[in-house]
Amino acid sequence: MHSSSPLPPFWRLVEDHGAELLRHARRLSGEEAEDVLQEALLKALRSYPRLRSGDHLRAWLYRVTTTVAFDHHNRRARELPVSDVPDVAQHDGYALGEFEALLDGIAESPRQALVMRFVHDLDYAAMARRLDCSTEAARQRVSSAVRMLRRRMT
Amino acid sequence: MSLEPRFLEDLAAAAVSEGLADVVYGTVRTPLGRMLVARSDKGLCRVAFAEESSDDVLMELAAGLGPRVVASERATKDVCDALVSYLEGERVELDFPVDLSLVASAFRRQVLLEGLGRIPRGRVITYGDIAASIGHPRAARAAGTALARNPVPIVVPCHRVVPAGGSIGNYGGSPWRKRFLLELEGAI
Repeated sequence: MHSSSPLPPFWRLVEDHGAELLRHARRLSGEEAEDVLQEALLKALRSYPRLRSGDHLRAWLYRVTTTVAFDHHNRRARELPVSDVPDVAQHDGYALGEFEALLDGIAESPRQALVMRFVHDLDYAAMARRLDCSTEAARQRVSSAVRMLRRRMT
Repeated sequence: MSLEPRFLEDLAAAAVSEGLADVVYGTVRTPLGRMLVARSDKGLCRVAFAEESSDDVLMELAAGLGPRVVASERATKDVCDALVSYLEGERVELDFPVDLSLVASAFRRQVLLEGLGRIPRGRVITYGDIAASIGHPRAARAAGTALARNPVPIVVPCHRVVPAGGSIGNYGGSPWRKRFLLELEGAI
């Protein structure tokens, strides 16, 4: 225990490793890298005083960032899909034609769900009435279509 | 290469608002050179002149107040602005609450708070006077040590204490700064 080094001031870690952690976050999370890194550094800060030693802090920060990037990804996937895809479809200057091009080659049923939800902006209850299914089934149809879309985009 | 200032300032603001910072610090250019200013929840805990390496100061803060040391210009701006105004000769009060957690003993805290609290701007007293004023008339030398180790110079005005012989005496931030401060305050 005695040989372990004391914890350095947290901001020194941020200054020393911040830029490489941002690159790491970018590889894992793309455009959401800054959000992921901020969340990761706050999480690290929260548990920092409980670390037993100041060794291997760089590796620890990489691990925290990786974990947060994955959590972020899973959470976004679960939160489906309202917060995600509309941003793309409604993005300033984003032509509807481009959205449709994304749908190209997607099977009729998921494609229909995506268009109802994001082009016609129907909520799940309205979709359920049109599709003659439950609200939950409409939501699931959109979720699985978004997952499919996400796979195609990466 | 480092992260963008905007990212760092947002991160610091989030850390502060979530109560995750033990200490926040900022740096500022003043007529006495570059200075580092640090505060905890309880108050201003460190003011350092440029001769002290900021690495050392930050290590000291981490060891004394906790390792969650965070830089934020925003969270230290009021103190930095007031210091600059003061050192440019404006009549601003530097009446920020102070946190003397970095001071090693109760006696030293007493010297810094009670002893110095009684010396108004523009006045000086001797080491013997300050020791006597807190009821330890024979502890002039110990009082001198307490002043020399003052972690919050200027705001806790240790520069207002001088030797009995009429010289300006020593100062943690080197004597030219002490002279500057005493001239600014009209004490000499």
